[in-house]
Amino acid sequence: MHNKDCTCWNCPAIDLAGKVDFRACGQSVEDFRKKMGLDESYQVMAECKRRPELGLFDPMSITYEECPQWEKSHYGYLLKNMRVMILGVDGYLGWSLVLWLGSLGCQVSGVDNYNRRDWVKERGAHTVVPISRMSERLKASKEILDVEINFRQIDILNERDRLREFIDEVKPEAIIHYGECPSAPYSMIDLNHATLVQQNNVLGTLGVLFMMRDIVPESSMIKLGTMGEYGTPLTGRPIFEGIFPADAVLKWDNREWSMGGELTPRDPVSFYHVSKVQDTYNVVEACKYWWLRSYDVMQGVIYGVHTDHVAADPRLRTRLDIDEWFGTVINRFVAQAIIGLPLTLYGSGEQIRGFIALQDAMQCMTRLIGYPPEPGEYSVVNQMSGFYSVRVLARTVAKIGKEEFKLPVKIQRVENPRVESERHPFEPIYEKLSRKYGFKPSITLEEEIYNMFHLLTNPEIKKRIEEKKHHIIPKTWWSGEKRRVDTLEIYDLEKEIEESEK
Amino acid sequence: MKNNQRITDNNFEEEVLKSPIPVLVDFWGSWCLPSQMMMPVLDRLSQEYDGRVKIRKINVDQNPGARDKYRILGCPTIILFNNGEEIERKVGAQSDNQLREIIDMSAISSR
Repeated sequence: MHNKDCTCWNCPAIDLAGKVDFRACGQSVEDFRKKMGLDESYQVMAECKRRPELGLFDPMSITYEECPQWEKSHYGYLLKNMRVMILGVDGYLGWSLVLWLGSLGCQVSGVDNYNRRDWVKERGAHTVVPISRMSERLKASKEILDVEINFRQIDILNERDRLREFIDEVKPEAIIHYGECPSAPYSMIDLNHATLVQQNNVLGTLGVLFMMRDIVPESSMIKLGTMGEYGTPLTGRPIFEGIFPADAVLKWDNREWSMGGELTPRDPVSFYHVSKVQDTYNVVEACKYWWLRSYDVMQGVIYGVHTDHVAADPRLRTRLDIDEWFGTVINRFVAQAIIGLPLTLYGSGEQIRGFIALQDAMQCMTRLIGYPPEPGEYSVVNQMSGFYSVRVLARTVAKIGKEEFKLPVKIQRVENPRVESERHPFEPIYEKLSRKYGFKPSITLEEEIYNMFHLLTNPEIKKRIEEKKHHIIPKTWWSGEKRRVDTLEIYDLEKEIEESEK
Repeated sequence: MKNNQRITDNNFEEEVLKSPIPVLVDFWGSWCLPSQMMMPVLDRLSQEYDGRVKIRKINVDQNPGARDKYRILGCPTIILFNNGEEIERKVGAQSDNQLREIIDMSAISSR
């Protein structure tokens, strides 16, 4: 098991408060000793909140392998009945994860204010996979999976007192932060939307950080960032996992320095992405000032519909959006293929992005929860399982649609409403999840696309796609224009498929 | 982190001060980003200098004894010891080449 040698030092059940002299920013050792009444030979001691009978002990002396509170699972050691709180539990990822973790034995709680439902409705769109109301969802998860979810309807930005109370009541041992607006185009609609996205994301998260400091400082925040924070540097330099490695060197004026530990440059491509970049800095600072622990998960573009848990009952399905604001690219392509709308590439279609399937993202999150960061540790993972150009993805979707589902799929290039590089080098580094946390992708791109066709060709869902097809072609321009993009070119599909087989 | 490189206050004397070969010690903190990013480089150098120079890591929060004795004021602090004596010290992230320079230069001067 990859996390067997972790000790109480990593464990959220540890109580280190006031017993360890964390010296970030050069705090004086003498002051700390005086305050704590320690002599020069003091040793680090801690208490365990789960096993108070241990009294004061050396927190490095017990490993997960030795501790009865950590139990073996398919994803390494997991803390028994771990209390995990998911912010944004009603969303595409949040709902999938709460069922996943609950089924693994975690004691799950969740917060949502249905923003996502409201935003999608406001745009006149809907989730094409029908989802139940929360009360129905909670009932079904208990009935079908025996997962009890402690849910509270709270707006994390505007109802901070209530969130504070809930965190205090639950005392989560990990907080998964999915409670942000995930849409670039939504943030580019107008000033009101840009403001809403930045306030909700940046200030919502800032509040959570303060609450963690005050109530659960040993818990970890696993927060969703995005690969889009980095942009696509035209120099072609590698896109590191958030932080420069020590052997990345800056050379200037015949001198050189290690860049190790500095945050890598960010190049956000929308006001939404800017909010994610700002979050990164807020989380880094919170870890630095208060020794909070955080994983910043730079997720590639997510796609897919399947986990065993959401597929267990129609009432447990997670949402799937295909509109121009909330539909991610592969999800949108499959929907287009099913109703005979040419798959839309923006501009050249040569943009390259990292991708990850829904169930693999869930696996990654589980592995991170089981390997909490050390005190004050801010760590970044690039969460993706492969990278492709959008055009290659369109071909893959077209090929599966045509060969497996007998659909006459077409591909078109349209004007690009975004401001972004359309041809660029792309060398992402994404090795930490597999090297340190034991992540192995469990499904291929083709398999998950097949799963999606299989679900979305269901007549009821197909009808729901038809109903909202006018929201697929973008009308939101980064320039502020509001008009439907024009088609530039329709591809010869046979040729495209031939290309994809090369 | 590779556990055989991790040392503590309890075995510092044995592992470092009484070592028959030079020892490069990384005083690091989990809250320190440059410290984190030094780890893979130190792992590589540990293999490269195997048998000639030992590379060891000591967490400053978990081990106040060594930290205070050597007056570690910032992380990471890299100290090269030979025959129990401190012969070189650097503060802040170092590239692999900078570390090699420290080790190689000091090896010559300590002969």
